Amino acid sequence: MEQLIKKIKGMVHLRAYGKQRDDLHFVTVDKAQLEMILAHLKNYEGFTHLAFLQAVDLLEEGKFRLIYMLYNYSTNVNLGVNVLIDRDNAEMNSIHKLWAHGWQYQRELHELFGIDFPDSPRVHESFVLEGWEEMPPMRRDFDTLEYSNRTFYQRPGRSTNDPAEYMKEKIYKNYPAAPVIRRDNE
Amino acid sequence: MKLKDVLSPLRVWERAAQKPWTIKDPINDRPGADNYRGFHKNDFSKCIGCGTCEEICQNDAIDIVPVEGQETVDGDSGLRPMIDYGRCCWCALCVDVCPTGSLTMSNDYTWIADDPEDYRFVPGADKTKWQDSTVGYTRSPDIQILDYNRVDMLEIKPEDRDKSFIEIVKGYNKEQAIKEAERCIQCGLCTATCPAHMDIPGYIAAIRDDDLDQALRILYETNPMPEICGRICTHKCETACALHNNGDPLAIRWLKRYIADQIPADKYQEILGTAHLVDEQLNRKVAVIGAGPAGVSAAYYLAIMGYKTKIYEALPASGGMARYGIPEYRLPYDQIDKDVEYLKTLGVEIQYNTRIGEDITLEELHREYDAVFAGTGLHLGRSTRVPGSDHSRVYFATDMLREVTLGNEIDVAENIVVIGGGNVAMDITRTLARLQNQKYGKVQVLATCLEAEEVMPADLEEIVEAREENAVIEPAWGPKEIEIKNGKITGLHVSKCLSVFDEDGRFNPRFDEEQKKFFKADMIVESIGQGMDLSYLTEEIKAELKMTPRGRIEVNDKFQSNLKWLFVGGDIIEGPDVIHGIANGYVAARGIDSYLNSK
Repeated sequence: MEQLIKKIKGMVHLRAYGKQRDDLHFVTVDKAQLEMILAHLKNYEGFTHLAFLQAVDLLEEGKFRLIYMLYNYSTNVNLGVNVLIDRDNAEMNSIHKLWAHGWQYQRELHELFGIDFPDSPRVHESFVLEGWEEMPPMRRDFDTLEYSNRTFYQRPGRSTNDPAEYMKEKIYKNYPAAPVIRRDNE
Repeated sequence: MKLKDVLSPLRVWERAAQKPWTIKDPINDRPGADNYRGFHKNDFSKCIGCGTCEEICQNDAIDIVPVEGQETVDGDSGLRPMIDYGRCCWCALCVDVCPTGSLTMSNDYTWIADDPEDYRFVPGADKTKWQDSTVGYTRSPDIQILDYNRVDMLEIKPEDRDKSFIEIVKGYNKEQAIKEAERCIQCGLCTATCPAHMDIPGYIAAIRDDDLDQALRILYETNPMPEICGRICTHKCETACALHNNGDPLAIRWLKRYIADQIPADKYQEILGTAHLVDEQLNRKVAVIGAGPAGVSAAYYLAIMGYKTKIYEALPASGGMARYGIPEYRLPYDQIDKDVEYLKTLGVEIQYNTRIGEDITLEELHREYDAVFAGTGLHLGRSTRVPGSDHSRVYFATDMLREVTLGNEIDVAENIVVIGGGNVAMDITRTLARLQNQKYGKVQVLATCLEAEEVMPADLEEIVEAREENAVIEPAWGPKEIEIKNGKITGLHVSKCLSVFDEDGRFNPRFDEEQKKFFKADMIVESIGQGMDLSYLTEEIKAELKMTPRGRIEVNDKFQSNLKWLFVGGDIIEGPDVIHGIANGYVAARGIDSYLNSK
């Protein structure tokens, strides 16, 4: 694996490398160099399988992290290739020509994160959220609680308690409240 | 029609005797995976009703409700989560955030009921078929939504502190305090445990928002001695902290200290809005006996309510046992002064070196003032009364700590045994260790107590730090006799103590007389509890005053004695500790206010 990382380093700008397990490694590369390195890994390094493509919303940094998880059947090694893309007008080149099933992942990411993959087949069709009109729900600024309360009604008769207030009522109800400061002008 | 067409339907009969291929009950025979996120379970013995599950739920599916049979006690609100399965999406955030790990999920996922109300249920209370299921989703140790690790406090190393009385704990800086404050989940369980019921989540939130003025205002609502409490409070609140169930509790005490430490004394009036108090408008005067935590607290709240208040203090400085019983390395005197000086700016007068009963009588105070609050503390030592304890080189810890504070020289011996295992015993042990170090360049002080190590009354950090300073702690030994040869103490004979209390919870130590030990000493300090000095009560007052069977002055819930003008609080009523004294003074001040208004 060390050699492979060295090789990758020779080919692209390797922004980060991390080893999580013996059979699970991650590299981070630049957006512009992603397809080139994926093609190399697939065609020459035995990472023939795209296990999944997933995104993480790095809200504070204004980025999405895309994770292309590759698998090598002969060495049983997983290699995650990460790339950071801008969160605003998020867009990425499609990989469906490298892995045919990639279009489906890209369609999913478009729906859940709002990331566009312009050449990807059927990328703007709904994936699981038919008729969804809100912000893509996996974006971290999507207010799940607000949506939930707006969309699903409450069963009647619900009531809740504040633990601290409840304990006061139960244990020290008669403890006097803080005295009012008596000032000259009042 | 061909013959084949007639016969072929009959071919199905070929299979008539075979076992069918269909699955008879496809639902019930298909359990979820072992870590499936199925229906909720809640282990009531672990749950503390903190409501964090309700707080995190993104579907507003959880209510925190009272449940029959669940008591509200320290550290447990008695409330339990009720989940509405009409809203739950089984994301398991509630399980991942639960500070106690009581909330889990079974792998059961089928439930049929006709009434939609059935799907609002309290896991753990309402009997369910999956309640005892051993498989399902639990929080993985890798997933920690909450931060269970306290921000480390900088302390002076043992070798740098064991010769002097320099303060050990350095206090948080801003960055550390905000980081620590951010760990708080704001459940408020601690507030009930605090004797003064301070709004702890309130001032922690103010620290987090870096609004220290607001934090100070919250402190002073219920506690006018934050510098003192921020250092030496018994901080029972921290044992009630929800995070304590799975890691370090919030450093509530250090956060309180952080607030007071950041704000200079001359800003207090402006921040707390006490610059222009009513000037004797009420024309009522209250005398306070003792400038300890209880007296100072009572005087503060009386002052802000507009009462002319004067404190009489027997000793030359304020703080009571906080100054004369607690060593300076734990509570520097200038910090006591800071709290008390602010009180004086509110017009409260303090007359030092004035002992009630000697310099002024209680009757005189009664005549001169509309009400009197006595918070005179526990300044007397108690003796083990073992043979030899009347020797002149046997001392009380309280006397000796007072002498150190007063700056009087102590005739420190080379070998000292301290009898006692509470915080006062650790205070005198560590004080003597310092004095020995200064005089002899080495430490030979040993503290022994009846209690076994695990149940020693002293705070754990006191025991640890005493050992770091080379004091020896020998728990679970009972003193039998102080050996004296040629008029000089040679040491203490002890027997193994098996238990301290009997089945009824009464003090009744049992010993194994076969197991003996001898601790070499030429000076012995007894620290087995403190007594009160009520000699200021004259015979006439004593004759009228109601006492409890245990010899304390009987007071009502406002700390008012049966002599309506006399209020009593602090260590002589409750505690002994600083925060009970402060709470008593606070309640008594309100009591005095309502008593004087009704007069």
